[in-house]
Amino acid sequence: MLKAYMILSIILFSIGMVGLISRRNIIVIYMSIELLLNAVNLSLIAISGDLGDSSGHVMSLIIIAIAAAEAALFMSLFVVLFRKKGSLDANIFDLLGSKYES
Amino acid sequence: MRSIALQNEIIFLILAVLAVVSSIVMITAHRPIDSALSFIVTLISIAALFGLVNATFLFVVQIIIYAGAILTLILFIIMFLNIKDENLPDEKYKNLWLLGTTLLILPFSAILIHLILKSDIALNSVTDESFGTIKDVGLTLYSQWVLPFELVSVLLLVALVGSVTLSKRND
Repeated sequence: MLKAYMILSIILFSIGMVGLISRRNIIVIYMSIELLLNAVNLSLIAISGDLGDSSGHVMSLIIIAIAAAEAALFMSLFVVLFRKKGSLDANIFDLLGSKYES
Repeated sequence: MRSIALQNEIIFLILAVLAVVSSIVMITAHRPIDSALSFIVTLISIAALFGLVNATFLFVVQIIIYAGAILTLILFIIMFLNIKDENLPDEKYKNLWLLGTTLLILPFSAILIHLILKSDIALNSVTDESFGTIKDVGLTLYSQWVLPFELVSVLLLVALVGSVTLSKRND
C-alpha cells in the first residue's frame, strides 16, 4: 500500500510539473504549484502512517499553512497584475526584465 | 481481515484514478474556471486518500482549508476579475508544449517509480486507535515542532501585511 501511495504521489508531482512548465495562464500555473505541494503531502502522510510516527502529519499541516499564506499573496498579485496589464498571460508580466517602458 | 484489505485497495484505485484524471483535466483545460473546478475534485480525492491511512485530522484540514478556503478564494478571484476570452493567453502550441514537457519529465518519474518498486520499504500499517487523531497530532506539534509552528505564525503575519500592501492602490 505504501508503494502505491508513493507511486501515485510521483505521478501527481509529474503532472503538476508538466502543467507548471508548459502552461502560460498564471491561474493554472498557481494551481500546478498547489498540486506539487499536495503530492508531497500525500507521500508524507503515507510514510507517517507506515512508520506510526505523527511527525509527518505535523509537517504536512505546516505545508498547508504555508500554502494558505502563498494563496493570499498570489491572489493579491493576480488582482494587481490583471488591473495593470488586462491579461492573464505569464509572458506579458516582464516588469522586472523589460527593456521598454510599458 | 483479508476482505478489508481488498476493499481498501479498491477504494484506493478509484480515488487514485479520480485524482490523476482530474489533475490532467486541470492542466489541460483552456478556461481557468474549468481547471479550478476539476482541481477541487483532485483535492477532495487526496483528502479521502488521507482518510484511508488513518490521518483523520489531516482529512478534515485538507477539506476545510484547501477545498473550503483556498479554492473558494481562487473561484472568487476568477469571478471578481471578470475574465473574458480575449484576456486569456492564446496558447496556440499548448498541446505541443504539453507533449514536449511530458517527454521531458517522463524519464525522471520513470526512474523514481523504478526505484520505489525495487526498494524494500516495509508494510506495517499501524492499527493504533489514537494514531492520526487531533490529540496525537497536537501533542506532536506542541512538543517537538514548537519552533516551526511559531515561524509559520510569523510567515502568516508577513503574508497578511504583504497582501494588504500589494492590493492597495498607489495613486
